[in-house]
Amino acid sequence: MKAVGGEGMPIEVLLVEDSPGDVRLTQEAFRDANKSVHLHVASDGVEAMAFLRHEGAHVHAPRPDLILLDLNLPKMDGREVLAKIKKDDSLKTIPTIILTTSEAEADIVKGYQLQANCYLTKPGQLEAFESLVKSINDFWLTKVKLPRQRQSA
Amino acid sequence: MTAAIRDITRRKEDEAHLLQKVEELNRSNEELGQFAYVASHDLQEPLRMVASYTQLLSRRYKGKLGSDADEFIAFAVDGASRMQRLIQDLLAYSRVGTKGMELLDTSSEAALQQALINLRGAIEESGALVTHDALPTVPADEMQLIQLFQNLVGNAIKYQNPGVPRVHISAAKNGGKKWIFSVQDNGLGIDSQYFERIFGVFQRLHKREEFAGTGIGLAICKKIVERHGGSISVESQPGQGSTFRFALAGSERKS
Repeated sequence: MKAVGGEGMPIEVLLVEDSPGDVRLTQEAFRDANKSVHLHVASDGVEAMAFLRHEGAHVHAPRPDLILLDLNLPKMDGREVLAKIKKDDSLKTIPTIILTTSEAEADIVKGYQLQANCYLTKPGQLEAFESLVKSINDFWLTKVKLPRQRQSA
Repeated sequence: MTAAIRDITRRKEDEAHLLQKVEELNRSNEELGQFAYVASHDLQEPLRMVASYTQLLSRRYKGKLGSDADEFIAFAVDGASRMQRLIQDLLAYSRVGTKGMELLDTSSEAALQQALINLRGAIEESGALVTHDALPTVPADEMQLIQLFQNLVGNAIKYQNPGVPRVHISAAKNGGKKWIFSVQDNGLGIDSQYFERIFGVFQRLHKREEFAGTGIGLAICKKIVERHGGSISVESQPGQGSTFRFALAGSERKS
């Protein structure tokens, strides 16, 4: 067991998000929340899977400690990405958080059916968004214990 | 003989025509509801960008770009936030129409209690005295009934003179059949010329500086009541408080 990061190790977070505005906002918020976070960005589902499977340009991609996943993405949407992650023995232990604007009950139910670790909606106000990212950091990247899979994978 | 047959044929044609019109209307209503729902959902995304980034601009550059810039940014921040509220309210309004509802026997007293729990903050802050008689069980969509009470009691507390807001909720049988609910307050009251208008979407009687809000609350009430096959009205005099009354169709069941 390890606390994520631990002893000055960088924390690797994969953000799967197609909107550049959202990417930048998330970067800004993590910069305030935790300087040890390395935020990697995949702008569609296909790229996210390539990153996670170290394919193509992502041969040297680190295994993320956390995945933040938008639902509506080009090429392969977030639901498909989530299904693939949770079917893959080496990937399914990575906490995967849905981070979306959709408040539709159907999306929420589907997210949990596909084994999302939690479902969060993006708040409309800057401060609320920053506080959400801070909560993610305080819980998923600080308090949560995760298996030592980074080394063994 | 032939004239009678012609009459019947004619009437049958009229009926078919009417049915077709009703169907068309239903369909266009449904489409409109869906349009409002989709539009407001998809509008929120870019608007969130405008709101978040104008807020970021304001925080990082306030006092650095000159007082004109501060003022312009403040207007942009305020405009984006207001539009977000409008869209959210439009979404709430269209949701009343798009969600399927089931009319089950519902304790209106329990619905009111839940509404009062939801309004706890406003009630405590205003020191309002909210009282009610015993309320009946009626066939209703519980969530919508809660929202109905919440909006009416919320308004009663909000549009007030200085002093202690008093709100009383009661129900009486109309001619031994329907239950008529009343929400009575001692608030500002409403001029009779606005009795219709206040139930319209985004209709307001006050400036934003006086009372916050978009003007959707009573429109939602009206839609909820009408979805239950009933009607809602107000009786009021400026300075004398207001009484909102509503009946839900089919509420002529047991008490």
